Amino acid sequence: MTALSYSYYPGCSLHASASEYDISTREVCSALGIALEEIPDWICCGATPAHNVDELLSLSLSAKNLELAEQMEGNRDMAVACASCFSRLKFAQHIMEKSEDKRKLVEKAIDAPVSLDRKVKHLLEILARDFGLEKLASFVKKPLSDLTVACYYGCLLTRPADVPNLDCPEAPTIMESIMKVIGAETVPWTHRLECCGANFTLSRPPVVQQLSNAVLDSAKAAGADCIVVACPLCHGNLDIRQKEIEGIYSTDYGLPIFYLTQLVGLALGISFEKLGLDALIVSPQKLLKQKKLI
Amino acid sequence: MKKKKMLISQQTMDVDMVRKVEKLSGTSVRRCFQCGKCSAGCPMATFMEHPPNRIVRLLQLGQWQRILAGRSIWYCVSCETCTTRCPNQVDLASIMDALRKLSWDQDGPSKESYVQLANKLFLQNIRTYGRQYEMRLAAVFNVKSGQFLKDMMLGPKLLSKGKLKVFHQKNRNIAEVEKIFSRIEEMRRKGEAL
Repeated sequence: MTALSYSYYPGCSLHASASEYDISTREVCSALGIALEEIPDWICCGATPAHNVDELLSLSLSAKNLELAEQMEGNRDMAVACASCFSRLKFAQHIMEKSEDKRKLVEKAIDAPVSLDRKVKHLLEILARDFGLEKLASFVKKPLSDLTVACYYGCLLTRPADVPNLDCPEAPTIMESIMKVIGAETVPWTHRLECCGANFTLSRPPVVQQLSNAVLDSAKAAGADCIVVACPLCHGNLDIRQKEIEGIYSTDYGLPIFYLTQLVGLALGISFEKLGLDALIVSPQKLLKQKKLI
Repeated sequence: MKKKKMLISQQTMDVDMVRKVEKLSGTSVRRCFQCGKCSAGCPMATFMEHPPNRIVRLLQLGQWQRILAGRSIWYCVSCETCTTRCPNQVDLASIMDALRKLSWDQDGPSKESYVQLANKLFLQNIRTYGRQYEMRLAAVFNVKSGQFLKDMMLGPKLLSKGKLKVFHQKNRNIAEVEKIFSRIEEMRRKGEAL
């Protein structure tokens, strides 16, 4: 089998508030021999605000990124780590495939032909399917035994059914299957597909406090030591706002929120610092020491 | 909230606008038989004066002014649960997008200003920088919404963890981004796009 190689679209968050997701993604892929080449001068996908008020703009921004990836050498699929970027790029492909009219408008807006051949893939499917669970198991040096994890999918990794095509929208298992391979125990829980409040974190934080509290509460009640996510916005809401949520609801969760790649990295034997684990607001030090993982 | 009696009459019907919503969203509001699954699964329904299924009902009755006058559409978080679960393939998340676009274009009577402000600043940032500039987005939002101290307690912590980037990377595609924005504006002026 030839080595896996992808064009890589990190997205804005991974270059700022979620840089540890970017760092750990690169570390994990390099340890597994998966080549990632960042798309030169990629632009913002528009995220939720663009499609919220201007579909044509949203499609055009994504189409521009698809075009930039197209111009790279090697005819590679596109790897995306952020759930929101992943969703927008998949939506753009889906909508332009369905509607010739919209596709023509987008081509006019970006002044270039739109190609839909390039596959957009989330890290989850790259790890679980392209690379493969069995092979991943053979790379595990330090199984995360004794660590109980709540896998949080949130909204955009799986919904709606016919767009991301990553897993079942109501009962996905892909994240759990990766966690099992790296030796962690996963818990069944109620809120793994519920919304955290997403970008209301800027405009209306009380919405996020209420919804994210329900997520944290459910994970804690299920007996999880921590939550694992694959989305920078979910991470920000559950990690950065956790302390204030604890204050508002007079409770104490103390749940470290890990990026998927940070836990995979730990199991591959990559160091705490190299995975950006010190950048988490809810410190994972105590938990990881207690489980003898650092 | 004060409950007002809902009046529906020929005068308040606007079928043209409903057709526009259907065209923009690529979905038919007439397929809905009001089972209420969308509202049952909606994480934001408790924040809305009209839950999602009622938004569709109002559209079926042509009462789009009533929808735009409220804040429900701006409280949709685009989680796609409604679209995923609808038994009749009504793509409600796209309907919400279309309603917000029409409301946005009108600069209409919506009561929800914070979400609109956040969206506006987010798009302005893309146009100016090519990528999102999170620190600036948060700072300008606080100034423009008059909430100078909002989330101030988070600032130092985020800075010390390297989560707030004060300086922004230059992007060589900024000129291209500006062209995309201006081409779309031009297409709309000429009536080629909605």
